[in-house]
Amino acid sequence: MGAVVRRNIPQIIVTIIILLMVIFYFFYISSEVRTAFNTWDKALTDWVVVITAMAAIVGGVDILRYHVNQSRKKEPKQVFFSGIVMIMEVIMVAFAVIALSSGISIPTQQNFQWLYTYIYAPSDAAMYSILIFYIASASYRAFRVRNPPALLLLVVAILVMLGNTSLGELLWSGLLPIRDWIMTVPNTAAFRPITMGLGFGIIILGLRLLLGKETTWMGRRE
Amino acid sequence: MTAIEKIDKILSTRQLLYTLLVIAIILPLIYPVGLPIGISSRTKAVYDYIQDDSKVPPGSHVLIEIYYEVAARAELEPQVIALMKQLFEKNCKLVFLSTITYGPLAFQFLQASAPDVFEGKTYGEDYVFLGYIAGQESAVASLAKSITGTVATDNYGNSTSSLPLIVEANDASAYALVIVASSGTDTFGWYVRQWYTPYHTPLLFGALSVIAPSIEPYVNAGQAVGMLTGQRSAAEYELLVGRKGLGIASMDAQSFAHGLILVFIIVGNIVFAYTKLSKRGEKK
Repeated sequence: MGAVVRRNIPQIIVTIIILLMVIFYFFYISSEVRTAFNTWDKALTDWVVVITAMAAIVGGVDILRYHVNQSRKKEPKQVFFSGIVMIMEVIMVAFAVIALSSGISIPTQQNFQWLYTYIYAPSDAAMYSILIFYIASASYRAFRVRNPPALLLLVVAILVMLGNTSLGELLWSGLLPIRDWIMTVPNTAAFRPITMGLGFGIIILGLRLLLGKETTWMGRRE
Repeated sequence: MTAIEKIDKILSTRQLLYTLLVIAIILPLIYPVGLPIGISSRTKAVYDYIQDDSKVPPGSHVLIEIYYEVAARAELEPQVIALMKQLFEKNCKLVFLSTITYGPLAFQFLQASAPDVFEGKTYGEDYVFLGYIAGQESAVASLAKSITGTVATDNYGNSTSSLPLIVEANDASAYALVIVASSGTDTFGWYVRQWYTPYHTPLLFGALSVIAPSIEPYVNAGQAVGMLTGQRSAAEYELLVGRKGLGIASMDAQSFAHGLILVFIIVGNIVFAYTKLSKRGEKK
């Protein structure tokens, strides 16, 4: 009974849902069929939206639980980091409760907006901006021509970089069409197999899920 | 110690490079040089597509996905503002939404950066912001079927079925164009699969320079009408629509920073080649 509930029933549900999704997506034979499918198709996709929204709550609770456990370890650094995460989470929830009790939507709540605008936004921008220093540092140390393919890579990189800037325009107006050609022809040729490979990978994963060969989503490795 | 080795030692110090980089970025922002900005054929093609009344009729509905965080704002926001200006001038009605949690913040910044573009436009009739919608690709698929059936309220708590613009354009078939301004790679695939393939809704991509190569196959296959790439395309588009903004303003800084990095790459390679050759000479 235990195995049926833990393994067979979830697998049957997943198989049915995969089959329905495939039918709804690929078998729009006529507008009548589309209309007939639409209610069920919409219901299924809406369930995913609802489940995802609920999963965010579960995720929030899980993060809080993790950091409560971490802060019990009494390591000064960990207590500090976990403390910040917990405080921020509690504040966010408090603002959300205030917003909901005031009858306004959460993103428009003033304190919530302040937190996002003056704490989150500058931190996020600063973190991303720091990358430029790593890239600049690597430019002198790492981008060195050690063999012919590295030379080719460097020449292409320089052409694209110059094509992306006004500096390139100043040097030679022909750099822009060259950049466009590199992006549309050799770059696309290189990325297309990757995209197709990814697509095939998704199909194979879908088939494995459909046939019950993939069980990791149930928390098992067998 | 030879002269080349001395140069290598000096240039290897990170502090020097970082200081030069900060100067290369800040100085052009304070004192703009006004380097020339040529308009690429790809950006012009996007502009011409929107201008073409047979493709984007005046007054038609356009959906705009705001899928970027603050970090990517510098590259994507100028693109969106320039596109908005062109679309509003054609009296197009814009429906904004976001499938990323930062969306409401990004839209708030967008409004603050372009008050002139929104001027005279009525919320609910000319534009709407649906806010953050959970569910990623499933949400995108669901929106294509019915917006009111997917989200009950907009970002400000108004019922979506009470907004005239949403009542007019409630599913994918009502939209003349979808603009996806995204700092992630997956988002573009969602719209290709859920809006372009089943409903043939034309897509236009706005991407970061670092992401553009990976979504180029979609554009090349005709699944998107075009793509704007990073700050460069934003600056070009600002020139085309005649509204100088953050895109043009930051091009000088970007050019000088790129130039500096190029100089360091070239010098680094000269030093590397010299050291390699001199070691070979010593062995012989």
